[in-house]
Order: sequence, then C-alpha cells, then structure tokens
Amino acid sequence: MEDYKKSTGDLLVEFFSEEVPARMQFQSGVHLEESFKKAFDKRDIRYGEIEILTGPRHLAIIIKQLDLKQQDQIIEKRGPRSDANEKALNGFLNSNDIDLKDTEIKDTKNGKFHFYIKKIKGLDTKKIIPEIIHEITYGFVWSKSQRWGSTDLRWARPLRNILLLLNDEVVEGELELGNSEVIKFSNYTYGHRHYDKKIKIDHISCYKKILIKNHVILNRDDRKYKISYDLEALLTKNKLSLLDDPLLLEEVTGLVEFPNVMLGSISNEFMSLPPEVLSTAMKVHQKYFSTIDHQNNLAPNFIFVANSLSDTKRDATVVEGNERVLKARLSDANFFWESDLSKTFEYWNDKLRKVVFYEGLGSVYDKTLRMSKISNFVSKAFNVNPSLASQTALLSKADLASEMVGEFPELQGVMGGYYSDLIGYQNEISKAITEHYKPRGALDSIPKTNIGGMLSIIDKIDTLTCFFVIGKKPTGSKDPFALRRSALGIVQIMIGFKINMTMHELFSNSLNLHNNVSKALETELMDFVLDRLRIILKAEGIKLDVIESILTLGIIHKLPFQIIYKRIATLSDIRNTENFKVFLVNFKRLNNILKSSNILKFSNFDINTDLFESPIETQLFQAINDLKLVSEKYQFNLNNQEYFLNTIKELQTPINLFFETIIVNVENEAIKDNRLKLMFSLRELIIKYSNFDIIED
Amino acid sequence: MNKKLSFQNIILNLQSYWAGYGCALLQPYDTEVGAGTFHPATVLRVLGPESIWKAAYLQPCRRPTDGRYGENPNRLQHYYQFQVIIQPSPHDIQNLYISSLNAIGLNTKDHDIRFVEDDWESPSLGASGLGWEVWCDGMEITQFTYFQQVGGIEVKPVASEITYGLERLAMFIQKVENVYDLDWDGVDKNQGGKTYGDIFLQSEKEFSAYNFERSDASILLQHFIDAEQECNSLLSDNKNLLPLPAYDQCIKASHIFNLLDARGMISVSERQSYILRVRQMARSCCLAWMEK
Repeated sequence: MEDYKKSTGDLLVEFFSEEVPARMQFQSGVHLEESFKKAFDKRDIRYGEIEILTGPRHLAIIIKQLDLKQQDQIIEKRGPRSDANEKALNGFLNSNDIDLKDTEIKDTKNGKFHFYIKKIKGLDTKKIIPEIIHEITYGFVWSKSQRWGSTDLRWARPLRNILLLLNDEVVEGELELGNSEVIKFSNYTYGHRHYDKKIKIDHISCYKKILIKNHVILNRDDRKYKISYDLEALLTKNKLSLLDDPLLLEEVTGLVEFPNVMLGSISNEFMSLPPEVLSTAMKVHQKYFSTIDHQNNLAPNFIFVANSLSDTKRDATVVEGNERVLKARLSDANFFWESDLSKTFEYWNDKLRKVVFYEGLGSVYDKTLRMSKISNFVSKAFNVNPSLASQTALLSKADLASEMVGEFPELQGVMGGYYSDLIGYQNEISKAITEHYKPRGALDSIPKTNIGGMLSIIDKIDTLTCFFVIGKKPTGSKDPFALRRSALGIVQIMIGFKINMTMHELFSNSLNLHNNVSKALETELMDFVLDRLRIILKAEGIKLDVIESILTLGIIHKLPFQIIYKRIATLSDIRNTENFKVFLVNFKRLNNILKSSNILKFSNFDINTDLFESPIETQLFQAINDLKLVSEKYQFNLNNQEYFLNTIKELQTPINLFFETIIVNVENEAIKDNRLKLMFSLRELIIKYSNFDIIED
Repeated sequence: MNKKLSFQNIILNLQSYWAGYGCALLQPYDTEVGAGTFHPATVLRVLGPESIWKAAYLQPCRRPTDGRYGENPNRLQHYYQFQVIIQPSPHDIQNLYISSLNAIGLNTKDHDIRFVEDDWESPSLGASGLGWEVWCDGMEITQFTYFQQVGGIEVKPVASEITYGLERLAMFIQKVENVYDLDWDGVDKNQGGKTYGDIFLQSEKEFSAYNFERSDASILLQHFIDAEQECNSLLSDNKNLLPLPAYDQCIKASHIFNLLDARGMISVSERQSYILRVRQMARSCCLAWMEK
C-alpha cells in the first residue's frame, strides 16, 4: 500500500524571471507544457493532469501524478540467424560486449534469430529532472530572447530563480547558465513586484494560494476575469460602456501581477479631437481602454489597469499621474492636429514625391498616379464617376505625410478622411479615403461606399502588381508586404460589391504601367488572387473538387468574377443530387472513351450526319446543337448559369441512351470516327461550364 | 512639506547613488550626440578591454527633429539623459534601479512601477538590446536595456544600460505640466532662482529655427563627407589605428545626418543609405577599438 502511494507524485516547476513581454507569455505556457510532455514521453515517465500558470515574472507548470520512477526499459537487439556461422555470432556478441548466455533465440516471421534483450532499470525521476530542465531551458523557443551577465543561456528576459518541488521536496540540482554561473533549484519564489518578498513554498497544493496572498494571480484566466469583472463594475457605476478591445485586454493581462482597475478623466480641452485620435493615443502608448457614453460617443473617461495594490491614497496618486501623462500625450496629438490643419493636400502630396514607396517602385506620390490611371478602368464597375475616382486616388495617400499619421501610423486613412472633410472636398472623397485600407484582414469588413470599395481595390491591385513585377512575391510563410492579405481584400471586395470584371480586366491595365512584363508573370499574379478565392470558398464549406473544376478552366482569367462565383455555388448546390451523380458517371465514361481514343490526331471535328445509323445518334446530335445554342447565349450570362448547368445535366438521358444502344468501336473507321467526333463535340461544350472530370463521384 | 527635488538635485542624487554603488562618475561627452548611448564610455567600453565596466554620467542630447520652438510643453531638441552602464549586468539590477528612484524622492511604494517591453535598436550604431521602458503611473521615465550587440559585434558579457529621461522624471517628481516650469536650482525666484525655461527657452527657439529653417544644407552635406573621410583615414592604417578620434568623427556624422533630416533634405530612400554609412563608420571604430 505504502509503495503504491509513493509510485507517483506531483511536480511543480516555476521559472522566475524579470518581466517577460506580455505578448509572449501565453505562448510560452503552451510551449512549456509541450516541452515537458515531450521530455517525459521520451523517457517513459508517465504523468497525469498538467496545469500551466503564467504571469509577467512567473512561468510555472504543475504536473500531477508523475511517475517517481522511470519505466523499466527493455532494449531488444536482433543478431544473426540462429544457424549463422560463428564469425557472425561473435561479431554480434563483441559489438554488444556480451556473452552467448546473454542472448536467446526467438522465432520471428522471418525465421529464428539470436536476440540480445537488455533490461534497464528505470531511474528515479528526481535524478533525471535536472537533465530535463537543462534540455527544456536550452531548447526553449522564444520569439525573441536574450543573454544576460556572462550567461550562455537565452531566455525572454533574465532568468533569476527556479522553484522545483517534487512531492513537496526540493529536487536537488542546478541549471548551468554558462561561465560557471548556476541557478540552484529552490523551494522559494517571489511575490508581487511591489514588495518583492521572498516566499517559501512548502506544499505544491498551497502554491497558488500563497502567491495570491502575496498579490500575484498566477492563473492567466483568473487575472483576465478579474480585470473584466472590475472593469464592468466601474463602467456600470459610471454609466459608461467599453469600446471593446479584446486584444488590449489580452495585452494588459500580461502587464500586471495583480490587476487594479481604475478610472481616469480626459481634460475637456481634448474632447474636440477626433475620437479615433483619442482612443489610439490612449491605447497605443498607454494601454488605456476608451469608454463610450449612452449616446455612443466617446466619453471623457478612460480605464486603465495598474499593477499596484488597491489603496485609497496611492490609487489617487496613480490616477492623477496617469491623467497627467495622458494630458501630455494628448497635447502632443493636439499639436499635430493643429499643425496638420494648416496644411493642404497639395503640400502633403508634394512631400510624398520624396517618400519612396519601395525601391524600384517610385515614390508614394507615383503610387497615387498609378492608382489614378487604374481607376479609369475600374470605376465603371463600381458605378463611380471616372473623374471623381481619379481625383480621389490622387488624394488618397496625402495623410501619410501628415504629422498625426507620422506619430500614429494606424490612423492612416482615418486622418485623411478628417482632413479632406475639413478642407471641403466632396463627402464621398472623404469617406473613400477613410475606409480604403479596409478590409484589414479576413475578419474585417469591406468598405461601405462604392467609391471606398473602388479606392481600396485599386490600391491593392497596384500594390500586388508592383511587388510581383519586382519579383517580391511571397514565398512559403514569408510575406513581408502582406500581399496575401491584399489579394484577399481584392476578392472580398469583388464578392461584396458583386464586381463582374475578369482577372484580366483587373490586372492587365495595372501591368501595362510597368515595362517588360511577361505573360507568365501576369498568369502568376492572377492565379495568386484566385488562390485567395479558393481559400474563401473552402472556408465557406464548398468542396475543393467543385472549386477546382471551375478554377482550372482554361479561360478562367477571362471569365467574369461573378460568373466564376455563381458557377461554383450552383455546382456545389446540385453536386449531391442523384440526377447530377448519374450525369457525372455518364460524363466520365464519355471522357474516358475519348481519352483512350486517337481523337486528338483528327484533322477536323466536323460531324457527318449522313453517317448516322441510328435515331439515337441523331437525337444526341440534336442535344449537342441545343446545348450549343444555350452555351453561346448563356455561358457568360450571370443570371442563366443555373439554366446552363441544368441543360448540361439533362444530357444524361441522351448520353446514357447513346452508350446503351450504340457501339462506338465498329469496324467501319468512318462511322467510328464520326461517333467519336460526336462525343468530342459534346464534351467540349460541357466543359465550357466546368471541368467535371475533376469532381469526385 | 518637503520641497520637491530640483532638477540639479536630481542629477546630484543620481550621481551620488550610482557612485555609491561603485560606478565611475564620468562627465558628458563634449560633442553633440543623439543619446547617452553614443558616449564612448558606453559604445566602445562595453566591447572591452575590461570585462567589468561600471560608469554613470549625465549626457545632454540633441534630437533636431524634436524641436518645437519652445511651444510644446513636452518636446525639446536638446535635453538631458542620465546614463548608467554596468557590465556584466548584475542579477539585482532591477532592484538597484528601483532604489535609485527612491533616492531622487520618488517613493516607489506610492506609485505603480512597471517594466513594459521595449526593445532598443540604434540602426546607425549597429546596436541592439532587449529591455523595457519603465513606467511610473503610466509615464515612461526610463529606458532599460540589456545590450546584445554594438557595432554589429556581440557584447560579452552583456551590459545593462539604464537611461533616465531627466526632464520627464523631474516633471513627474515636481508635478509640473510644462517642462519650462521645472525648478532648476531649488532657489526662490526672488532670490534669483532659475527655471528650466529661464535657462533653455531661448535656446530652444533659436535652435528650432536653425534646425528647421536656417541650417545650410550644402555646408552640412560637406561636413558629413568630411567627417566620413576623416573617420576612414584614421582607421586606414592597420598598424596605427586611432579608434577614439575616428569615433568622434562618426558621432559628428551622425549628428549632421540628424540635422539634414530635420531640414527635410533626406528622402526616405537616401535615409537608409546615410544610416548605413554611419553604421559602417561605427562598426569600423568598434572593430579598431577591439583590435587595440
């Protein structure tokens, strides 16, 4: 009984360091768990439940029911066959440094062999732990790490202590840091930074509680929950709501050991600044939450999360300090605002002539010139007046030269919108400038106005074209210019605004603005954009074979976008119907016969009706002619794609009849060829809709 | 109630605190620099020859583009940093730093002190490090860096650099909202006491005008070329290297580049090449320094 109880135990390892960047904490916890699992699995040490705890300075893992002893290991080595000669056998014995009595003969499906079976007694886990700690710390992956003092070890920030308890006892050992510096495993840690008290941990079961008593909430979710809870209480008390910002909440959770949520006020003098400026200034530099009043306007209050313990007198000081910092920040912002208001778009555009967009791609101003040219070919599809489109393109980047955007790059577009409005450009222009960086990723919405959608798409068309032309297309996981996101944006806008242009129409004009563009590059560029469509459709649950059957069409780059979209949707809808399945079987049969025939060597594909021997052939010929009419009339007609597909699908009857009654491989070559031509004509018409052979049965 | 520490007393207290710790107290470097880091006591010394190096000094810094003609209460083109460089970085450096705040009248127990990720990089020095900006009640008062590289060379052992932004710190301690209202000397106004504005306002106005409007770009360009040439020539003879004078020229080139930048004379594409030229000088100086 005693033995059984002692066969497993709990392990606590805590890496205590100086403040680890907030953005790395969560991931480091995940990585720590994986590292320990890997280390124990590799050594045949079994474990139970694992808990990860992360804070700014503490990174800890608690592992329940860890084997106190490694499993005994059996290593089996196969030697020569049992009837092998002495030389072979001795070689085997010598190389393993064993005698014949250490081996045994075992039957395998390949015959009898000598085997050396070695039993290795499992070691005590606590003897192996130091080696595991070394392995994990030296192999730890941080997105960015450093050395300190004279160490060789790298950690996100200097590692100062390792608390290591197995069954509530310190595991003897140490971690070498390099240059004879070590950290000895200990049974203590430290509390909140404010007191920095050294705390002894006697029992793993009390670890979290003791730390909370010392004002460190180690469980990230608990800390986040406390912030959310206290935040909500403050909001309710002050009749405010939050400008929701989940990412900011995550970040703040990593900046505090014991959150103390407080409310501060914004001086009235700054409330006339655009709300985006206020909330950006608060968030980017200060990590403050913005609040909104019951009318949905930005309220003159901000919420921040301090790392100090709540104390009336200190809280007042801390609030006052934060208000003062914000005041300084906002008076800076105010200075930029006032200074920008005295400038014109011409002044900024003039500055942009000197700002390089990217080496070999001219200035940012040159980019707007290109965008203006591209707008000529795109504006109509967005129902935007061409001269207004061109003017908007030329004004769209001016704010990049403004002081406010210089300070807060994330306000690009937004500031341009404000300045354009205040200068008195048309409302449409201002709106377009404001929203033309949208969508900023897969989850963001697309611009609302037509002109905004147009401006956004031409900006992205130009960017993609430019970087492809200078050979900077993304490779593997590297996409430094976020070109995939641009391409995704183009597709999202095409879908959202129901733009019915072809890929060729979208890109040929922007490619014409560059010299020496090869056909291959154009194809690559258009395929790159279509690849994003593929991803969007897959995410919508459409089967890949359906998507591929359309996207592999030879004329895909000259097929209007909405037709592509509609065809895929229509095909996906009927794909599982019985009717379609029957058609598919017949089509594939037809296709296979053609593939194994010598039809491609024919000099012409004219069908001679005089060679028909059966009314079934005539019937199929009639069906072909009907389909030809439908296809000519409707293949590029957006509203009749369903009709087009249905016409194709209905062909299952004449095709089936044809196969049931007609033998293609007849002796008479002329008749045989004529029948093949009949089938060929039919296939060529059918695959104008989609490459049905790709679709799985 | 105790009188708030004056600007000069903050400097004096920091000096005596770090001298007490064992730092060599140095004086500001006597040429224009963009940050305390540029002082050879930091850039060159962390590369050797000794593996233990502890120094503290005040350094006036120039950032021409930050000039606001004395009209902005928080931005200056000339300001002070207090710099502490300790190599190898001690294990209790954070606590040493926190105690230093208490030494200048900032009772940390009454405030919210935080270390927020802020990695530092100086492209023109080819230097980088990991660390934090230190917040006191949301105000950034210090840059704290573990030097990993200087002049593109690994710093071994790692040095810890603490850079106090003195104006910000003083504004915080004195609870002043305009930098020009800072009490400089702790002497009453009617006794001839001076504020920061009394001493520097005129200078901010004149230098802003110089930096943004009046500097002669062609002369500056020539100065840059001269400095670069001089730097290279001082490092040209492998048997007779003069890294310290060469480094002076590197710092000068860096400042001239900043002046040209403020004048709007450098396009974004040129910018990169200027930075690379300064970085090349810095690297050559560092290598020559290690050579000696």
